[in-house]
This record gives sequence, structure tokens and C-alpha cells, in this order.
Amino acid sequence: MYQHQGEDVFVIDGHIHMWDASEENIKHRGGEQFIQCFYDYHTAFTPEERQRGIDDYRKFTPEEVKRDLFTNYVDMGVYQPTHLHEFYTEGFNTVDDLGGTLFKEHPDRFVLNGRWDPRDGEAGMKELERQKEEYDIKGAKVYTAEWKGDSKGWRLDSDEAFEFLQKCADLGVKNIHPHKGPTIRPLNKDAFDVADVDLAASSFPELNFIVEHVGLPRLDDFCWIATQEPNVYGGIAVAAPMALSRPKKFSEIMCELLYWLGEDQLTFGSDYGIWDPDWVIEAVMETELSAEQHAEYGVEFGLEAKKKLMGENIAELYDIDIEERKKAFQTDAISEEFGLGESYGAAAPADD
Amino acid sequence: MSQTAPSNRPESEETAGLHDRIRARLDRVTDPELDESILELGYIDAIELDERTATLRFTLPTAWCSPAFAWMMAVDARDELESLPEIGEARIELRDHMHEREINEGVNGRLPFADAFPDADGEVRSVRATLDDKARLSRQYLAVERLLAAGLSPEQIVALTPADLRFDPDVDPRMDGARASIALGDGAFSVSVPARPLDRYLRKARDVGHATSDDDPLFLTPEGEPIEVEAFELVRRRGRLARTNVTGQGGVCDALNEQRRAKLDRDGPVIVEAD
Repeated sequence: MYQHQGEDVFVIDGHIHMWDASEENIKHRGGEQFIQCFYDYHTAFTPEERQRGIDDYRKFTPEEVKRDLFTNYVDMGVYQPTHLHEFYTEGFNTVDDLGGTLFKEHPDRFVLNGRWDPRDGEAGMKELERQKEEYDIKGAKVYTAEWKGDSKGWRLDSDEAFEFLQKCADLGVKNIHPHKGPTIRPLNKDAFDVADVDLAASSFPELNFIVEHVGLPRLDDFCWIATQEPNVYGGIAVAAPMALSRPKKFSEIMCELLYWLGEDQLTFGSDYGIWDPDWVIEAVMETELSAEQHAEYGVEFGLEAKKKLMGENIAELYDIDIEERKKAFQTDAISEEFGLGESYGAAAPADD
Repeated sequence: MSQTAPSNRPESEETAGLHDRIRARLDRVTDPELDESILELGYIDAIELDERTATLRFTLPTAWCSPAFAWMMAVDARDELESLPEIGEARIELRDHMHEREINEGVNGRLPFADAFPDADGEVRSVRATLDDKARLSRQYLAVERLLAAGLSPEQIVALTPADLRFDPDVDPRMDGARASIALGDGAFSVSVPARPLDRYLRKARDVGHATSDDDPLFLTPEGEPIEVEAFELVRRRGRLARTNVTGQGGVCDALNEQRRAKLDRDGPVIVEAD
């Protein structure tokens, strides 16, 4: 568990993946462009000594994911699937990729989210039911810029999407994570527009909408919508790595988010494997607002707000009892494997 | 990246003047998503001057940056350079982009976007209009901050019209040190402020159809309405948010750009006179 100024900070990484962009799995040139684009983001923000080679970056195995997360300050991870079957033969990062592996072995360490696409129609409804039945999903990632046939994207406020949102409400899949921005070649930009979240959120007050990447490059539209809809949250993945190399820009973005949304509506995500979580978590936790920012925005980003951002807010959304988990993690298989029990308060092993 | 670029031979007073005016023109060419000039952003590799022809070479932060945005920057740079009397023709060379061929051939051949990209969905004009309106708000924030710093009150600011704003007709307002004056109290007195932020704002406001006649309000709400003084602070905060959006996204692009230029070994902007 992460420690900050002597206090425990329980980290639920709200945005993780386990993808396969190996050359064998790519079936469309968009698949190669997509992973190359991710890799550009990886190298642009990752400290040089922590950068991966492209071959290492193409594919993450369950063993790697387990080690990369849990030995790097993450206590739990929220898996956000990205299917992209138009680009990848077996999909890029599917529900079952984690569902059939790490989630099965360590269900307490993960939140496995489902995924739906209104363009899949009746078959998509059945698939959503299957995800609920098989994994008891409580949330779903939706990727409005995903290609399908001739379609280059869809909107969350369409009639078809509303049918799926209603289905989510009926099934208790209450957390919807629309993936918005930044521009990813070869996906079309306008599919990242956040305006469609507005009507969806006001029409389904029983659902929560966690807009990933806080809408960048539409932060302004996103914040304005979020101030008007109490069930809209911001996930700071993609903004977060700026905390290290562009701390002023990161703190400005945090000021805006704290000002418009408040500290209860924000969730952390490293976007693993785009970036490894440890240095992103450190940089966010080390962020201090300047005196001018305090004066200009009138917001605080102290330990309480940081703890909410890092885990408490998303724990609330997914009904996770952090104290209970900490107890369980004193002796679970992950802590046994990586020697983490003590950080959760387990007695130190006898020295003999 | 520095705006004052070295030339490979000593600048005579005349060419130095031209170089400054080239920079002042290119200051008007922005990355439409970031609303920052392509000079400031460090996208320009070289500008080569040969008699009356200028060739501008530039590289974007990624090979997959929006082709529509790349197109806008290329067209705007061409037109700004050609607005100078010394330059008869400007040629554009976008480098290392997935669509460099379509863009270079299209812009230098003076084709419309739809002819250069027959299978693009949507057209450039509506994309530009949306981004222009965001830029208008972000620039308004910077202009208004200048006026507040110069001592104007919210009441005075919301009452301003384009007629109250005067630029020196003999100086390009984008040149270093250029000033503008704001007439107050029915012209009884005036306040001097830096010209650039006001020129940047007014130009963008006019691009989207605001502040076109002398008695229009100079500043507007995000929705394009006159600002009630009670709403001044909210409008200011929304403008600040628009500004944080462009600079925040700018941080993402800047990191990508820095990484890429190091990889490609590209230098900063250099204006070169051909022998």
C-alpha cells in the first residue's frame, strides 16, 4: 500500500488494461496504428529509464499485469475492456481476457467491467446479460469511437444506446465509463465529443457516468456538463502522467476539476499499460497547488482530497469496503506472492 | 522554443524587418486545437526565402495528428506569408505525416479540402467554427485579465465596444512592444495596454461573427450573449476553463512534440535566405 506523509493511501487504479497487439493478432492496419499511437504516448511521458521497448509493449500477460500493478503501489485495479475486433483477430483487451485469468484467481483484487456497443443489437444485449451472469459486472466501459463495419463511432444519446443504458439499469450495471479523448489515430475525433453524456446522464439518474480522460481535449465541455449532472464523474487517466513532466499544467487541470466538480467526483487511473502506475501515483501524490492557485481557485488538494481521488471515491461507486479489503489483503495470495502482507497491517513474520 | 531565430548570414536592416514581419504574420497561424501559434509551439523546421518565393517546412507532434488540423495550419501559413508584399508565392511542406502527400499537393495546388480528401467525413469549415468559438472564449479570458490588470472594473469591461479599442495603424499589433488604447468615460480618457492579446481576441471574435460593428459589445458570454455585470465572474471562470483546456491539451501535444523532434533531430525555426 502506498504511504504518504506516514499515512496509508489505498490505491484503486480506476483504469487498467491487459492487451494483445502482437503482430499475429493484428488484422487491420488500424491495429498497428493504434498500438504505435499508444507507444508514442508511452515514450512521450514515461521517464527514460522506465520506457519499454515496442515488442515488450505489444502484449501483456497475466503474470506481468499482476507484478506491474501490485508491486507498484496498486491495491486494486478496475479493468476497462477495449475490444476493437475490427482491428485485432482476438480483440485487443476483452472482458474475457481478464475474466478467464486474473479475475478468476484474484476476484478481490479486481473490478472487472463489462462492455457493450449499441451497434451489436440483440446479440449485444445477450452478451451483456452473459457478462452480468458470468462475472456479476457492476460497470461497463463504452468506447464511442470504436469502428464497426462502415461506422466510425456512435453516440451515447442515441435511441439504441438508451436501450442498452436501460438494460444496464435493469441489471444493476450502474457505472458507465465512457472513454473520451484524447485523439487516437485512426479513430475519428468527433466520436470523442462529450456532449452526448449530458442527455444520457440526465435521462438515467440511477446510473453513474465516469468520463475517462476528463474529456481532454474537451475538458471545458466536460466540466460544464459535470457541474449540471450530479451523476457525472471524471477519471483523470491521461491527465495524470502530466503530473511528472508538466506539473503546472497538471495542477491547473486539477484546480479546474476541483473547482467545477469537487473532490468527491474524481477518480484516478494510470491507464496501465500505456504507463506503469508507480511513477504516475507518486507524481500525483506529490502535487502541491501553488499559493496563487489556492487564491485563484479557492480549492484544496491535500491528503484528504488525494485519498478520495486515489481510491475512496471509486470504492464508493463499486461498494468496496476498503477496511475490509485491507484486512483480507493481509493474507491473500497476492500479498503472499509479493510479500505485501505487512503493508496491510499483518504481523511481521517471526525472525528466526 | 525561441521566436528569435538565427539566420545564416548577418541580417541587413531590411531583411531583419522582413523576418520580424514574417514572424508577426506566422504568429496568426495557430494549431486550431491548442490555439497557440505554430511558431510558439515549435512546429516550424525552416522558412526558406528565394527571391519572391517562401518555402515553409513544418512537422507536427505526431504522424497521426488530425489531417483536418494539419490542413488548416498549412492553408493559414500559406495565406499569411502571401499577405506580405515581398512574398509572391508561399509553398508549404508538411513533413513526416501520414497524409503529407494529400496535404502538400492539395495546399500548394490550391485545392479545396474535399478534393484533397475525397473520403473524409465532415468538412473543415464546421470543425474550424467549433474550435474558433472555443479559442474566442480562451482569448477573451486573456484579454480581460489584461484589462483587469490595467485597472478596469467589470462594469467598464462589459460596457466596452470595438469602437473603444484603438490600435496604432502603422504598427503590426503582433510586433513586440505594440500597444493599444482603451477609451473610457465616453472618450474622456484612455488606458494603454499591450496590443497583442486584444488583437488576438478581436480577430477570433470576428472570425466567429462577433464584435463586427462599432456598437456591438466587445466581450460576450460563451453562448454569444452580452455579459450582465452580475455574470462577469462566471463568464471569466468559464473562459479560464477554456484556457486550461487548450493549455492542458497543449501539454499532451508538447510532450509528444518534444519526444518526436528529439527523435527526428529537428532544429527550431530558422529563416534562411537562399543565395
